[in-house]
Amino acid sequence: MPLNPSEAADALRDIARTERRSSSAYGYRLASPHLILWGVVWAAGYGAMSVDPKWSVFWPALSLAGVAGSFLIGWRMRSAGNAAFEWRYAATLVAVFVFIAAIFAIMPPKNDLQISAFFPLLTALLYALVGIWTRGLRMLVAGFAIAALTVAGYFCFPTHFLPWMAVVGGGGLILGGIWLRSV
Amino acid sequence: MDQPDPTIHQTVRLKIMAALKALPAGEAIEFMRLKALVAATEGNLGAHIGTLENAGYVDVEKDFVGKRPRTRLCLTKTGRRALEDYVGYLREIVDAPQSN
Repeated sequence: MPLNPSEAADALRDIARTERRSSSAYGYRLASPHLILWGVVWAAGYGAMSVDPKWSVFWPALSLAGVAGSFLIGWRMRSAGNAAFEWRYAATLVAVFVFIAAIFAIMPPKNDLQISAFFPLLTALLYALVGIWTRGLRMLVAGFAIAALTVAGYFCFPTHFLPWMAVVGGGGLILGGIWLRSV
Repeated sequence: MDQPDPTIHQTVRLKIMAALKALPAGEAIEFMRLKALVAATEGNLGAHIGTLENAGYVDVEKDFVGKRPRTRLCLTKTGRRALEDYVGYLREIVDAPQSN
């Protein structure tokens, strides 16, 4: 039976809505293991610094392990459709590192606390931007949650900021990754 | 297209096709994720997938992850073209001048 214009418009809206949900769910599935991995890295790094601030020397090694792990995850999840993902991921990391180096050269952090807050805030911004541009509400929420928790810890609990970031920041990323996976 | 494709012209099957089309070409989705996306019961979804598979619109792969059975689906080229034709058919209806 032929459709009338109103039914056809409804069907088109249904198609668009389902495509959007499916696309978001696919993005969440790709992002989820990265969040969990970086949650573990944060928990380990901030946790170690909480025990002894000198252990901040482990951060470069932990960060490299995180980057290597992210590449491995991207490689394992690659497909014909997202083959371009790996070079874009690498290019994004390079751009972020160059940006951070430039920022620190121009505005050097005055203490460890500022550095410890800067990276979570940058991560939060990246998640929020991905959420905005891909209409991924959960990514947007994850970004705002990381930013809010970081700012809250920095201003409200400065003396316990490192364990705060280990538990709340690292744990939040892990829970965020699990939350994205549940879609 | 004068008449809608009867295989796609059904709410759940249309949603299945739309959900699969949003994935990159050749990318598959697991049955349980699809079930959540289209909000259908397992039996209902299975029956509609069978219809789409018989029409050559979707490929169904069944395997095991450890001891757990897994069913994955992806859109075929024929299916992608059929959905594009169906969307074109809907747009023609919406865009057609209305006679009062």
